Amino acid sequence: MIETMFGALFSLVSTPHIMGLMLIAVVCGLLVGVMPGIGGKLSIAMAIPFVYGMDMVAGAVFLLTLHAVNGTSGQISSIMFGIPGDGDDAATTLDGYPLAKQGQAARALGASITASGVGGIIGAVVFAIMIPVLEPVILMFSPAEFFLIALLGISFIAFLASGSKIVKGLIVGFYGLMLSTIGMDPITGTPRYAGDMLFLWDGVSLVTAVLAMFAVPEMLSLATKGGSISAVSMDRGFSYRQLLSGVAEVPRHWWLVIRTSVIGAVIGMIPGLGGSTAAWLCYGHAVQSSKTPERFGKGAIEGVIAPETASNGKEGGSLLPTLFFGIPGSSGMAVLLGAFLILGIQPGATMVTKHLDLVWTLIWALVVGNLIAVGILLVSCRWIAVLTFVNGRMLVPFILIFVTIGCFVSDVQWQNLVVLVLFSAIGYGFQRAGWPRSPFVIGLVLGGQAEASLHQALQLWGYSFFLRPLSLVLISMIVGLMVYAFYRNFRPGKPHAGMEVNT
Amino acid sequence: MSMHILHKVIFGAATIAAMAATPTFAQEGAEFFNGKTVNYIVATAPGGGYDTNARLVAEFMQKYLPGSTFVVQNMPGAGHLIGANYVYASEPDGLTFGTFNTGLIYGQLAGDPAIKFDLGNMSWIGKVASDPRVIVVTKDSGIESFEQLKNSKEPVKFASAGVGSASTVETTMLVKALGLPVEIVSGYNGGDDQLAMRRGEVQGIIASRSSFQEFVNEGNAKIIAQIGGSESDVPQLSSMTDDAEAQKVIALVASQSNISRLSAGPAGIPEDRLQALRDAYTKATTDPAFLEKAKSLGLPVDPKVGDDVATVVKAALNQSPEIVTFLQETLKKD
Repeated sequence: MIETMFGALFSLVSTPHIMGLMLIAVVCGLLVGVMPGIGGKLSIAMAIPFVYGMDMVAGAVFLLTLHAVNGTSGQISSIMFGIPGDGDDAATTLDGYPLAKQGQAARALGASITASGVGGIIGAVVFAIMIPVLEPVILMFSPAEFFLIALLGISFIAFLASGSKIVKGLIVGFYGLMLSTIGMDPITGTPRYAGDMLFLWDGVSLVTAVLAMFAVPEMLSLATKGGSISAVSMDRGFSYRQLLSGVAEVPRHWWLVIRTSVIGAVIGMIPGLGGSTAAWLCYGHAVQSSKTPERFGKGAIEGVIAPETASNGKEGGSLLPTLFFGIPGSSGMAVLLGAFLILGIQPGATMVTKHLDLVWTLIWALVVGNLIAVGILLVSCRWIAVLTFVNGRMLVPFILIFVTIGCFVSDVQWQNLVVLVLFSAIGYGFQRAGWPRSPFVIGLVLGGQAEASLHQALQLWGYSFFLRPLSLVLISMIVGLMVYAFYRNFRPGKPHAGMEVNT
Repeated sequence: MSMHILHKVIFGAATIAAMAATPTFAQEGAEFFNGKTVNYIVATAPGGGYDTNARLVAEFMQKYLPGSTFVVQNMPGAGHLIGANYVYASEPDGLTFGTFNTGLIYGQLAGDPAIKFDLGNMSWIGKVASDPRVIVVTKDSGIESFEQLKNSKEPVKFASAGVGSASTVETTMLVKALGLPVEIVSGYNGGDDQLAMRRGEVQGIIASRSSFQEFVNEGNAKIIAQIGGSESDVPQLSSMTDDAEAQKVIALVASQSNISRLSAGPAGIPEDRLQALRDAYTKATTDPAFLEKAKSLGLPVDPKVGDDVATVVKAALNQSPEIVTFLQETLKKD
């Protein structure tokens, strides 16, 4: 075991052409990840034609690294411009963008880059540890648990908008839940609120909605307000000291980092739970476990660390069912699975017995790829961070173009551009009126998941599914959270301890 | 010219007659594609079996249409409808065609208003595979044979994909027609169905053989009946019932299983260009390199070209009113 493990690492780093390919993959993955709307799924799809003809190990390492580092650079635009590239990045925006506005872009970047690197590595470790117990753990989670986990995520809305904003938060959350019902009804197969518009049959495009609710309103307000994103001027802006202080935040919050990475990896491991669930659950967890939750949404560094560790940690996790069951743990992995077949890798139980060396090579590729990505980003973010000091009027047109391209490319439906404009108006309205917008994304992301799995669970067990052992654990967690939320909001003598998320 | 014919004789005996009669004709058609870009539409997201197959077909068709460039374009959504509608509505100049699930035929038969195409009118280029359907039950279900399933006292739970998908339609039709004590749990997409079978929350599924062979080989489940295909290790479902209506439903599903991974274009592609496309398709799907790649990808290959496919499709569309009513009831939206 140990021999295979380190043998794989040695052969990986000592093969120049694989390391070269990996470097290319890291650079490409980072570049593509910066573009909003182009996630890991699309970048692998674009890369598939290139792997024809590569040998098995090289091709697999290339694609996996490309996919793994994608999320690492997605956070750059989330933090600097408030533009999330996808559902998971939206959680990073909540605290990352306020930090950039306070002139602390470098600190936020330092923390988030390191956090995602560490998250990716811990994810790979969880992967390695989980191999022997994979089967029973995965088989523990059925549609009943998927429903309750989605519900748990939805109940975090209570923490994202408490105090004077709880009603507004609930309204926005329900608005998101309502929009998640657009599309094919999972029970009857009837299109709902879609009419003859086929592009709505699969639901509202998440990328479009996220860009419209977060990116466009931020850009509009930047353009109308004038000045630069950072309220602090350039000379007090970027410094390596600030960057390093951001890096140091990760070991300072080591316990949170470990918890969120592991949660991320485990969620990634369970096929059927969407990737964005990980980032939002961990953000909620960071808020709820913090002693000073009122700082969140205004630039709490934990709010950057938690979702980033989670979303990179889940990559290691989601590789597990992909390799050993041939069942992809995320949409990106579904594409990767197709590519693996092209390379001649037949996923299945035989991976452990016949191809253990390949498995270890892939684990190491995750670790080494993440390290390279962190190194590249920490060196280069100096020049990127400068952009937050550029006058917004020069920046906004370019960013809006990228947003539009990202919105179109992610689903290749021109109708989504119309949706983008409509939702942007709503998002801008929310922003001007000071209503929280994050509950909307949670509702939209988790609503569809909750509905489909509730339906399946009821078909399978009727209402008795609530009495399954793991269900009871999850239910008690939800109840506990709600009680805690109530207590915090209505605690006598201390007015509105809840935080006010304005992003 | 003789070289040209000789060249073709090497490939596909079935098409010799058609080609020898129209070599110059097809030659003119083939010249049209020189310097042109062909859009090959795939009605699914990248990465799945459809996509892999499509990219392989496109790669080799490009090889046999000198000077052409094939661009594979994914148009996922609405259960292959977006892609199929797009193909049918595109210009019939031979430069746009694609692949989608033949299961859409059920929707067309039932008169689904969202379907904006007529499969009977499409310009059929060919199909790569036959993908027989099988009834699979898990080891833990304790069911060993079709008879046992049929006589089960307790309802047996079967997994299927989303409501309205070809998999759910086929499962519902067969269960109804055969009067099986099966409860269908829908909403399992991708590999979720295999996971659900491992968890034991469902006991069986009606699915394509190629996607479940590995699962069965690993000892998780057993195939108890098959529809279509030439394998003889499993009894054919049609041999296990005397009911006339059930036989018709089985025949309809069997005809579908025979035309899997198809390529078709909009109605009215000019004869010579269509012929050139069909020729290229024949050469592509019989190329040894193609076969080798398909084998390494685990894609079943059993090609048919042009009119042969069109005949099967037209025959399948020609259903008795009873079957159509039956389908409409199956697909009925409550």
